[in-house]
Amino acid sequence: MRVSAAAILALLVFFTLGLAVLGTSLYHVQVNDVARFRKSLENQATRRISIPGRRGRILDRDGHVLADSRPVHDVVCRLESFQRAGGWSNTVNAIDAELTRLAAVLRLPRTFTRERIARHLRESSALPMTVWRDIDDGALARLAERTADFPGFSDALRAERIYPFGGIAAHVIGYTGRSRPDTDTGDTVVHYFEELEVKGRSGVESYYDSFLAGAPGERRVRVDARGFRQDEGTVEREPEHGPDLRLTIDLDLQHELEESLADVTGAGVILDPRDGAILALASAPSFNPDEWRQRFRELLDDPARPLVNRAVSGLYPPGSIFKPITAVAALQRAEEGNFNWSPDDTYDCPGVFVLGDMRLHCWDRYGHGPLTLRKAIEQSCNAYFCNLGHLLGTNALFRTARAFGLGDRTGIDLGGEAAGALAGEPWYPGHTCQTAIGQGLLQVTPLQMAVVCAAFANGGKIFRPYLHLREPHDPPVRPVRTLICEPEDLEIVRAGMRDVVETGTGRRIRTRYGEGRARFHLKVSCAGKTGTAERGHGRKDAWIIAFAPYDQPTIAMAMVVEHGESGGKTTAPRANRVLAHVFGEEEPAS
Amino acid sequence: MMRYLLRFNWLLALCAAALTVLGVVFIGSAGAARSVAALQTAWRSHAVTAIGGFALMFMLAALDYRKLLDWAALPYFVLSLILLVAVLFLGSRIYGGRRWLWFFQPSEVAKLATILILAQVFGRFGDRLCGFRGFLVAVALLVPPILLILAEPDLGTALVLVPTAVAMLLVARIWAKGILVLILVGTLAAGTVLGVVKAAGQCTDPDRQARFYAYLPLKPHQLARLKTFVDPDADPYGSGWNLRQAKISIGSGSLSGKGIGRGEAKFLGYLPPSVSMNDFIFAVLAEEAGFIGAAATLLLFLGMFASSTYTALRCMDDRGRLVVVGVMTLLFSHAYINIAMSIGLMPITGLPLPFISAGKTFLMVTCAALGLVQSVAVHGRLES
Repeated sequence: MRVSAAAILALLVFFTLGLAVLGTSLYHVQVNDVARFRKSLENQATRRISIPGRRGRILDRDGHVLADSRPVHDVVCRLESFQRAGGWSNTVNAIDAELTRLAAVLRLPRTFTRERIARHLRESSALPMTVWRDIDDGALARLAERTADFPGFSDALRAERIYPFGGIAAHVIGYTGRSRPDTDTGDTVVHYFEELEVKGRSGVESYYDSFLAGAPGERRVRVDARGFRQDEGTVEREPEHGPDLRLTIDLDLQHELEESLADVTGAGVILDPRDGAILALASAPSFNPDEWRQRFRELLDDPARPLVNRAVSGLYPPGSIFKPITAVAALQRAEEGNFNWSPDDTYDCPGVFVLGDMRLHCWDRYGHGPLTLRKAIEQSCNAYFCNLGHLLGTNALFRTARAFGLGDRTGIDLGGEAAGALAGEPWYPGHTCQTAIGQGLLQVTPLQMAVVCAAFANGGKIFRPYLHLREPHDPPVRPVRTLICEPEDLEIVRAGMRDVVETGTGRRIRTRYGEGRARFHLKVSCAGKTGTAERGHGRKDAWIIAFAPYDQPTIAMAMVVEHGESGGKTTAPRANRVLAHVFGEEEPAS
Repeated sequence: MMRYLLRFNWLLALCAAALTVLGVVFIGSAGAARSVAALQTAWRSHAVTAIGGFALMFMLAALDYRKLLDWAALPYFVLSLILLVAVLFLGSRIYGGRRWLWFFQPSEVAKLATILILAQVFGRFGDRLCGFRGFLVAVALLVPPILLILAEPDLGTALVLVPTAVAMLLVARIWAKGILVLILVGTLAAGTVLGVVKAAGQCTDPDRQARFYAYLPLKPHQLARLKTFVDPDADPYGSGWNLRQAKISIGSGSLSGKGIGRGEAKFLGYLPPSVSMNDFIFAVLAEEAGFIGAAATLLLFLGMFASSTYTALRCMDDRGRLVVVGVMTLLFSHAYINIAMSIGLMPITGLPLPFISAGKTFLMVTCAALGLVQSVAVHGRLES
């Protein structure tokens, strides 16, 4: 025979070896590497989906809800219900047709385009597709009735931000938008899908965004090879709801401050001088955060720039409200001993201050006559302070201004704060004089001046202003720094500021001028300073700073009105209105 | 009758039956993931075909293979060539190939015809055709079916005839040294092609890469399969998808498997449904039955080969031994290539796994081939 037994046996050995090779390889793949392949299968069939946490509310100091989350109903489409064999377009067509039918039933406009369906299918088919947002009750009822006819569609609950008091404290609260959360999972293998979540875009909504947002949870769903969801998934991590944020804002006072600025462009800040807590902070004109999204473009293009928070980012020359700082600078230098000057020294105001070829007029053209420091504050005498600034020099002035916190951010827990400016370009003696009366290259924010005012109120303590109300068990607030100034020296300036409201330029801070000769004084004594800053081209910004009660101050405020007539006439009555609301008015004195 | 029952190779039939049962089970499992009713019940038609196939096997076992070869080998071979020609003109076009004539695939029929004609020619006239002449005769017999199958085109089926014929010629000692040299040359050529593909794959300049590929006498889809073979991760979402998913499916099966009907890769569609029932059925089996099931499958094949070897050794003439060797090699080539490609040991070719993959023509033909082996078992011991 040609075919030998040996050849046949050799063939069997060859086949056995071949099967042994397969067996060994299979053992490697299935037993040794099982973990790796299980992981691969798990990874490609798993999608992680974020579950947004409920955003915390924002409350005022008394617990009034300033920002809340309202449940709204969306209509969502679960794509896996429409999975069709063949090309993607079959599925898109199926959804498209059904959506048109549903739109007619719900009587809602068909706004979700075919292109968006296709894009959602391509990019995130594991996520339900939201086709209508925030539907009204009628549409919701119609959807509930017809749920059985539209198996792929259902309503989904979502939280939307609302502001129960409308536009009040808009610049403090800020507004929100919807965006992808910036969570970094560090996991590049498993596909991660994120539901859009509410995200703070300005104000404390933005500053305390991560605090309010809590932590998003996570759900894992299984998807098939085309990315369609196969199950409802398992919740890997429950979302953590954000805690409530309690602000130092006093809603009542805030309302009054906003009302007092309602007809002008400007800003005001009211602090508690004892610890720097912000009781009210307003910028005018304002906006309603509820309408922010609809009117975004309009608000952005408005020449009055209502979205800008002038209280923290508006820069203005301070004008005469800077003069108390000049006074403190002089007192500090005198105390140090190398400055031959006393607050009791008199300076004879001629009505104009001349230095070289610079002539600075006093607002009293005929001159104030001989003035001490206290009287000069009361009368806001430009000549006196020009002279004093000239004697002091730039460095001493700036040192004290810096000690008051000017030229630097106060550190408030709010975004967009401006630092202001102390320095100037080439420096001439004339500039020093200008600085001494708050003109020239100085730039401050209303918030900075409120902190300065609080320092005069509380005896020289500079606080970091804050908005997040402290809990009772929190450690007491400590000032950022305390001015080095003898109490009796500071008292001279404070007394001058009290004279301002009683007999000086700021009488309208303390007194409301009624019909005829009716005069309404505040029930408490107060102190303040007015300022009218020249900005060129005839524009004047009208300032006041004020604090009250004089002996135990609980309120310190700064207020500026753009394009005002003067601090005493434009701004002082507005401050008076706020203070009167807090402290009340005496019976009219005639 | 008694002799028939005593000499019938029961182990061979039992192994084949067990593999067929596995086939029914896993075709059913793969079909459960499909939405088309005909595919969901594909396991039933597999079972029915298998019953017919086994009946055919028992009938063929009763016939003397020598008479069968004398009478039928040449007509059957000619008929299968006619069918192969007919399919090129009359066949239905599926996926760019004409492989189907009405309800069956002529190329599968031709596999058995080729084995039979080779067994007949070299079993009968082996002594006169033992040199290079014999080789030329074999080439003359092989070239028509191979060319016709390549024309369909069905490279896998055409190629599987080569090891089958080579094994038969080698055991028949027809120009053995020359064939061994040719095997060596063939291996070197295949290695060179793979080397070129691999080298080109690492080439960063696309122009040079294209020039490399231009040297290879391959069609684009064949080139893609070779590229996947040398570098499985190069295009995991394109040409590498099937292999990657088959490996993930098999690898995630672990020792004991996920349980029958509970394979995830198949249900989620990662293991493409179009191939899970036939070319890649082993991936479904290995995922659901685990390494134990996969190893059992291998052992069943080994049982078939061992029992066939027994039949061949007990057979007292060349034709019977050549028939057995041809059938064994055909089954081994299918089983080995199919399983090896599922785990990336071989480039992907569309060869079914005998008895397990859904495919009625092939199942019928393998059963008939086993019938011939059984005929050798029953009748081969008598000197004619």
